[in-house]
Amino acid sequence: MATNAEIESQIKAREYKAGFVTNIESETLPPGLDEDVVRFISAKKGEPEWLTEWRLKAYREWLTMTEPDWAHIGYPKIDYQDISYYSAPKSMDDKPKSLDEVDPELLAVYDKLGIPLHEQMALAGVAVDAVFDSVSVATTFRDKLEEAGVIFMPISEAVHEYPELIKKYMGSVVPQRDNYFAALNSAVFSDGSFVYIPKGVRCPMELSTYFRINEAMTGQFERTLIVADEGSYVSYLEGCTAPMRDENQLHAAVVELVALDGAEIKYSTVQNWYPGDENGKGGIYNFVTKRAVAHTNAKVSWTQVETGSAVTWKYPSCVLKGDNSIGEFYSVALTNNYQQADTGTKMIHMGKNTKSTIISKGISAGKSQNAYRGLVRMGPMAEGARNFTQCDSLLLGDKCGAHTFPYIESKHPSAVVEHEATTSTVSDDQLFLCQQRGIDTEKAVSMIVNGFCKEVFKELPMEFAVEAGKLLEISLEGSVG
Amino acid sequence: MAAEFIAQQLTLAKNISPLAWLTSTNERGQQAFSQAELPTKKHEDWKYTSLYNLSQAGFAATAPEAQAHAPVIPGLSAHRIVIANGEIDTNASDAAALELVVRFRDARPEQQEIIRGLLGEVKADRGHLFADLNDASINDGLFLLVEKNQRLEHPLHIVYANSCSSTAGDEAFTVNTRLLVALEQGAEATVIEHYAGDDTVDGVQNNFTNAVTEIRIGDNAKLTHYRLQLMSESAFHIGGTFIDLQRDARYEGFHLGLGTALTRNDIIVNHNVGGSHCEMNGVYVPQNKQVIDFHTCVEHKVAHCTTNEVFRGIMNNKAKATFNGRIHIHPDAQKTLAELSNKNLLLTNTAEINTKPELEIYADDVQCAHGATVAQLEEKARFYLQSRGISKEDAEIMLSFGFINELLNGLNHEEIGLWLRPQLAQRFGRSDDLSAQLTGEL
Repeated sequence: MATNAEIESQIKAREYKAGFVTNIESETLPPGLDEDVVRFISAKKGEPEWLTEWRLKAYREWLTMTEPDWAHIGYPKIDYQDISYYSAPKSMDDKPKSLDEVDPELLAVYDKLGIPLHEQMALAGVAVDAVFDSVSVATTFRDKLEEAGVIFMPISEAVHEYPELIKKYMGSVVPQRDNYFAALNSAVFSDGSFVYIPKGVRCPMELSTYFRINEAMTGQFERTLIVADEGSYVSYLEGCTAPMRDENQLHAAVVELVALDGAEIKYSTVQNWYPGDENGKGGIYNFVTKRAVAHTNAKVSWTQVETGSAVTWKYPSCVLKGDNSIGEFYSVALTNNYQQADTGTKMIHMGKNTKSTIISKGISAGKSQNAYRGLVRMGPMAEGARNFTQCDSLLLGDKCGAHTFPYIESKHPSAVVEHEATTSTVSDDQLFLCQQRGIDTEKAVSMIVNGFCKEVFKELPMEFAVEAGKLLEISLEGSVG
Repeated sequence: MAAEFIAQQLTLAKNISPLAWLTSTNERGQQAFSQAELPTKKHEDWKYTSLYNLSQAGFAATAPEAQAHAPVIPGLSAHRIVIANGEIDTNASDAAALELVVRFRDARPEQQEIIRGLLGEVKADRGHLFADLNDASINDGLFLLVEKNQRLEHPLHIVYANSCSSTAGDEAFTVNTRLLVALEQGAEATVIEHYAGDDTVDGVQNNFTNAVTEIRIGDNAKLTHYRLQLMSESAFHIGGTFIDLQRDARYEGFHLGLGTALTRNDIIVNHNVGGSHCEMNGVYVPQNKQVIDFHTCVEHKVAHCTTNEVFRGIMNNKAKATFNGRIHIHPDAQKTLAELSNKNLLLTNTAEINTKPELEIYADDVQCAHGATVAQLEEKARFYLQSRGISKEDAEIMLSFGFINELLNGLNHEEIGLWLRPQLAQRFGRSDDLSAQLTGEL
């Protein structure tokens, strides 16, 4: 057995690894939000008139809305005038033409995070779009993707190059006034990724976006739009980190997925925003709106591993509009220390024979609160629709909480909805069995937790699954015994 | 309209002839209710149930003179009390039953003291605005006290029979009823709350009943509680049931929602000391355009308590049902065992069910599970019956009936099951033959 001192030093060494700050000269807007700020962001991006108006409309809607308070989370009131809504590394002003022109310090950041931007270093078959504070800094493998006809670029560029697509699909899944945070995002979104997969194309590699908040006092508002045309397939990964800071930072993103007839989109997230320290100081407030529309025979699958953020408010949803469409949601949400998570999904069954599966695993440790909140709605036309939901919670420690709020609404007799939920703890028997075989407590708990999450991890692309397993281990440090 | 409804109800509450020793409760209730707003769909607790129809219906200041046609449960030897249109009908009630309970109005000073000590204690501040309205308007009520180690030989059967007929020119009225039950250490009792309509009159009976029941079950005591709501299909019913469990106490409840245009029942169970058990079952079978809403909340405040909750519902025609079952495990409630199951059958594509089984858990060494399903009748089961020569309609009726019959079979008082079965069978059957067969066979 390791001595206490050894364990302590191990724990210290294994704290939030992505918590470093990079000194990069940035152009940051002073805190505050009004129409001029919205116009400034729009002008900075050289956006066409219609988009500026679109943003302003969202801003005006936002002013009339109130912050939602129904979630099982508590945080001090956010002062929206105290946040800077635009920050960009200065060296990005003249857009780099290729990776060679990108500020080496910026690239070093991603190297440090283990995100290889250099194409030769890239893991085989993953194209990465890196978003640093508010702008996209680099997108790899663009040429190769273009060959296949796949469009993968920062949304700010897509606005100029493919205005019709953006005009047609942006806001079609998450309208401007969908909710408070989506409206805010629509007004001030800075950048994000745009993906278009043409008819019948199977995207030759995994696409990935990596988000990084660096500047203090800023918020990050990115927007992702993925359109999979008829019969196409894409797998998309998203990762996030932020430096350790004492103040709370706001992250309000919007993700829209459109799966046209017969298309399939697989969207995976490993969210590791800075969760705050062990006393609950600092950390990211993560208020994210993610939604997908699945047309006839389409399939959308959300997989998420949520280990970071001080506050998580996130409900990746599927609107199963077309007949025979499928929605899936696999989630592991782990909270430790003073983290709070209120996360889950919505499955809106509109078409006939639509199917959805929800597997949610919540793990709470320390003094954290972890809630699953999900909605399954069977519309009046959802003949033969089927849903299965399983949400399990694991409690590690007697000061944390695990909650389940499933909403089930059914208006069709032939729709079948099943919901199961359990809550338990790692039992003494399980621990004893492991210890008997020479596995120490911490290892044993991590093993059991990994087993608990297996169903979800197996849905993740391989590299992510490894990362997710490690993340869990780190996030659980110090929560046992 | 919402403001008018509140103002109207408040005026009704203020016009009661109050009991001097309850005026402080009345005033507190009036104060709270006057500041209340009628909840809308934006309120989480009322998301699926609209009070619009209730707020649109005007209510007369006084209830008409009642002609009691209070139903009897055949074969059940019970002490029966009939409350017709809000007033105790001494002729229809058993003399022995009236001896058992204390009417608030007739309470002696020392009894007043006890009642005042208990009233509102169990409810605490948990109720919504209708509980405040009830407080605002109490000028009568029933109090059952079962003393230490006493056992009530026969169930106490309280029939709330409301009767008015629009065709006879009666106006709709409001009744606020209050029941207080206290079981001392080791006591045992059965209480049947029976909300009945009046089948003998024609026309719309859109009365509004606002009932609050407070129950305290002492150490080692046991209460079997039936709350049967079989009112007219045009009536409104809002009920609050609040239950406190002391050490090793046991509560067995059966809640039935059958009648009314709008029912909203809130059932709140508190495990207060430890070792207590709550066994709660419920059935709701709305049809036509009925709306039935059950909100249950079990508070596990301490360690070593158990809860088993099963609710089943069948929705027919354009009916709408809501079930919200909450289990709340407080930080110190280790070793809790709690299970909640809610199953629903939708018979038509115009019916609607909204269910939300919630778990809120702050303790780690607990075992909690909940399950909810919504479905239609199983195809295979129906085929099995059809293959044996039973018509499709009959098969459907039998299966629907079987879905809830399980809970009726579990009732402690067989007579109640026997009496309820034909009424339920008729809901699905409409064919007297089949309902007779079903009830005969089962």
